[in-house]
Amino acid sequence: MDRSIPWAALSGGRSSTSSRSADRLAATCVWIAAAAVSAVFFWLLSDLVRHGAGQLSWSFLVDAPSNAGRAGGIGPIVLSTAWILAIALGVSLPVGLGTAVLLAEVTSPEAIFGRLVRRSLDVLAGVPSIVFGLFGNAFFCVTLGLGFSILAGGLTLACMVLPILIRSTEEGLRAVPAEYRLGGAALGLGRFTILTRLLLPAATPGLVAGVVLGFGRAIAETAALIFTSGYVDRRPESVFDSGRALSIHIYDLAINIPGGERNAYATALVLVMILLLTNSVASWLGQRLRGQHLHS
Amino acid sequence: MIDVGNPTGGARVVKSTLITGLWSLALMALGWAMSGCGAVGADSGSTSRRAERLVITGSSTVAPLVAEIGKRFEASEGVRVDVQTGGSSRGIADARSGLADIGMASRALGAEEEDLAGFTIARDGICVIVHRDNALTELSDPQVVEIFTGRLANWQAVGGDEREITVVNKAEGRSTLELFLKHFALDNRDIAASVVIGDNEQGIKTVAGNPGAIGYVSIGAAEHAVARGVAIKLLPMSGVDASTETLSAGIFPLARPLTLVTHGKTSALAQRFINYAGSPAVYDLVRELSFVPAG
Repeated sequence: MDRSIPWAALSGGRSSTSSRSADRLAATCVWIAAAAVSAVFFWLLSDLVRHGAGQLSWSFLVDAPSNAGRAGGIGPIVLSTAWILAIALGVSLPVGLGTAVLLAEVTSPEAIFGRLVRRSLDVLAGVPSIVFGLFGNAFFCVTLGLGFSILAGGLTLACMVLPILIRSTEEGLRAVPAEYRLGGAALGLGRFTILTRLLLPAATPGLVAGVVLGFGRAIAETAALIFTSGYVDRRPESVFDSGRALSIHIYDLAINIPGGERNAYATALVLVMILLLTNSVASWLGQRLRGQHLHS
Repeated sequence: MIDVGNPTGGARVVKSTLITGLWSLALMALGWAMSGCGAVGADSGSTSRRAERLVITGSSTVAPLVAEIGKRFEASEGVRVDVQTGGSSRGIADARSGLADIGMASRALGAEEEDLAGFTIARDGICVIVHRDNALTELSDPQVVEIFTGRLANWQAVGGDEREITVVNKAEGRSTLELFLKHFALDNRDIAASVVIGDNEQGIKTVAGNPGAIGYVSIGAAEHAVARGVAIKLLPMSGVDASTETLSAGIFPLARPLTLVTHGKTSALAQRFINYAGSPAVYDLVRELSFVPAG
């Protein structure tokens, strides 16, 4: 379906030269803006590839770092990052989904409770990550006694990701046409059935967008993790061990280690590749899930 | 959104709220069970380990070195050394509160920190370098300030050849930059840099490739480069030669001690680690990170 605006038709018969040149100027600006955005991404990616690709190898991905990260690989760090992210998403997904359903389907948009939750989520989404880091350190590490651990880091990230996840899932649910609910009710389906068989599948794009954004924010996080999951680059034996995340490894190599730049680039390249990979897998999975539910 | 899924009135709302509530309850129970089981596992796991675990927190400049020393110590002692960063102040606070067995600070302890014991394990010193062909043999502190702030633009003004000065500065966030700025009481905005570089190697290469350049790098890295025949020259600072000897003797002015800090009675294990961190067994690790052993 062609959704572009028929500019020529809109301008009608009064297409003076000045308005046409204004159109052209606007079009050029929009194109330049879009091209600039892609250019930044490709410049960044090519910079990473140019400096980091030479270091990449299978052993870089699985070996333990040595010589303060300048030699060896990033195996334990990839593992710690995976654990941290698994905890963050494993906790925030069910909680986020539940809250989004409550906000979009159970409470009315005007209800005071819903407004309160929504407002606090929007504020939380804008809180700087270092604040989450200090909160996570005070609450998970000290008060709950988890210490510097992968679990504390994952839970801190879960708190950070929740607002993004909830808001975009909620938007996804709200975008589902009211006819779905009416149709479901007319067929005598219960609300739970309508929710799980109709609304959630239809709202999958919103959920996937939330997961992708949340995952991106979580994997790129440094400040929230330095005080929670910590700096230890040993292979973690359990979620109660401290484990260094990829982003912290990059930061440390780039700032504190003389001669660490090359491996910092290579690690950053790995991180971006993981991000690209998970994003495509998530959107593919989203498409599939949606198709399956709606056509079965 | 209107409550369209509620055609039969209040009963449905109550029912669905109940379902949502039950669902959240189930989730919370699951979460509690998981964390509960985990906590039990952690307790039984860590009681055997806790006695042998050394927690060290503090300065991000010292952390990479101590982490490497820790790995070597782990291998020889069969204990665990967990190193965490977060800055010198945090290291000192954690050592005081007992959160850490040992704190790390990239400075000497101050007068209001007499309750703590400090052990210098290495020194971080930086020196001003110029190209080997530069006729200059010495620069006074005010001259260095005038050159780096751009008030002097030609080597002739300080008794050198007729050549334009290229100021090589460090990128923001580098501890070397902080140390340099602090020593000369400068703000980074005042520096008229022609080139901004990242690490020591890059700085040395930049100066070696430009006869008019002046920069500052870690002393260890500069000496190493001179030994390899790289075309740079280390300038003395306030009349003190820039060398690893003057640095480890503690007389070179532009330097800071990398300090391990303990509070109260130091445990036997912590003391063993501190002794190990200052011993010749780890000098190679100290030099690898462009620091100079303190001993």
